[in-house]
Amino acid sequence: MSKNLQPSGDDAGFDAPLYVPIKRRSFFMYAGATAGATALILSGCGDDEVEPGNPNTVNVGSGSVGVLNYAYALEQLEAGFYTALRTGTYYTGLAAGSAEKQILDDLYYHEVIHREFFKAALTRDAATSMIKSNLEPDFSGIDFNVRLSAAGAARMGVLNAAKAFEDLGVAAYNGAGRFLATDNAGLNYLVAAGKIVSVEARHAALIRDLISEGSFVDSDVVRIATDGLEISKTPAEVAAVANTFLKEGSKLNVSGLV
Amino acid sequence: MNIFKLLSALAEADPAVYERPSVRRTVLSSLGRKAVAALPLAFGAMLPQAYGRNLRTIQDVLTLALTLEHLENEFYLQALAQPASFFPTGTRPAIELIQQHEAQHVAFLTTVIRSSGAEVPAKPNFDFTGSKNGATAAVFPTVFQNFDDFLKVAQTLEDAGVRAYKGQLGFLSTDNALLQAALRIHAVEARHASHIRSMRRSRGAAVKSWISESDASITVPGKTEVVYAGENSQVQTLPSGLPVPFSTLPIGSGANILKAVAEAFDEPVTAEVATDLVSLFVY
Repeated sequence: MSKNLQPSGDDAGFDAPLYVPIKRRSFFMYAGATAGATALILSGCGDDEVEPGNPNTVNVGSGSVGVLNYAYALEQLEAGFYTALRTGTYYTGLAAGSAEKQILDDLYYHEVIHREFFKAALTRDAATSMIKSNLEPDFSGIDFNVRLSAAGAARMGVLNAAKAFEDLGVAAYNGAGRFLATDNAGLNYLVAAGKIVSVEARHAALIRDLISEGSFVDSDVVRIATDGLEISKTPAEVAAVANTFLKEGSKLNVSGLV
Repeated sequence: MNIFKLLSALAEADPAVYERPSVRRTVLSSLGRKAVAALPLAFGAMLPQAYGRNLRTIQDVLTLALTLEHLENEFYLQALAQPASFFPTGTRPAIELIQQHEAQHVAFLTTVIRSSGAEVPAKPNFDFTGSKNGATAAVFPTVFQNFDDFLKVAQTLEDAGVRAYKGQLGFLSTDNALLQAALRIHAVEARHASHIRSMRRSRGAAVKSWISESDASITVPGKTEVVYAGENSQVQTLPSGLPVPFSTLPIGSGANILKAVAEAFDEPVTAEVATDLVSLFVY
């Protein structure tokens, strides 16, 4: 289990009864009229955890379970980042009660909570298709000792990385809603994703404003010249970025979400 | 209605959100009809009570969205029409930017509705003091005189907008193009809400950039409580009905975790709640 992603004890108490998978059949009782078709699709996911040609990737699968795994992977990454920064000297040097310490603490809490939401959801509803809970991050491109990278620096500062992760999360959720099934479980998870993505957008806007006041809706995230819509990203586009922060063996394969 | 015009207008409006016409054609054909087939019967039963059992059409959703965008756009336009002295130094550019997005959202939704062949609802008359154009006592008498009062109403509208869009997502779930567009507008509204909250915080208000139980209340009794009612839920349930046991997470004391849980999820509101809020400002 990765130290960065799963600080010791994070799992304490996450046991019975929630984490005891319900029987597959009873899960599909919740799936409404389309249960039969969905079951056929979902049952295919677990057999195919790793793409034949690339045994070192983590295949999120397809359909609703694919979206849950995808979200779980991204939340593992985000939570891992906010956990790791807590031991860097930028964070440890922040005055108790300072605004940025409060913000980074809140973001750490929120992202760990989001991660645990998806862990609980997958454990309960799709345990056999769930990706591993200890994706190993590669934060070698982040300097946890500085707030912002200096011009031309090889590594990102803490706030640069936070901005990257938050914007990526928003773009990812917006681009993934379409892959959720329209059965009851899918609709529930659509609402759950909606509850989370707006909080990610609030985070992203705040981090951007901390870096540069007024940059909460810059043209790299919102189409400010045309329709005022947030720029969403496909799972493939998101994975290409996310994988730069994941080690070999933990890189994501999102080929099922197309 | 002309489905094909709608399809092409969507593609024109944003080719990126419009990629798989085949899966949507049957859904678009139900535009304007009760979307019974579009939602499993279990939807109303399994979702939190707030969703009730109402079956809304996609057109209902678009109409509500357009009304909300008119509300926000008009609000910022009226603010920007005030004397320059209304805006403290450095505050005007962000309001201009936000207004620009709201105007774009109005245009986007108008195009989508018009292209479907449906009637575009007229823009209501707005009075942001809440006095119904003088017919009743004002709720926010100094909304365009006192900048802090203006920001309170702005926060109310933005947070309500985020919650309202969220409440409509389920009704768009069978139409990927519209679902994704709604999600993308929803995220921009959340960025606005965050920034307005940050502006208030920098002016001394006790408020986080996300909705928190530690925020100083800005609701007006009997008028705007609905905007934050039910928002600070400390419980999230899975489709199976079981709550996620966040309270056992070792990331702080129990009370702190539950407070963070409430912050970490923005809750939806129903169309009825959103409409109630809009009606406060319409005459």
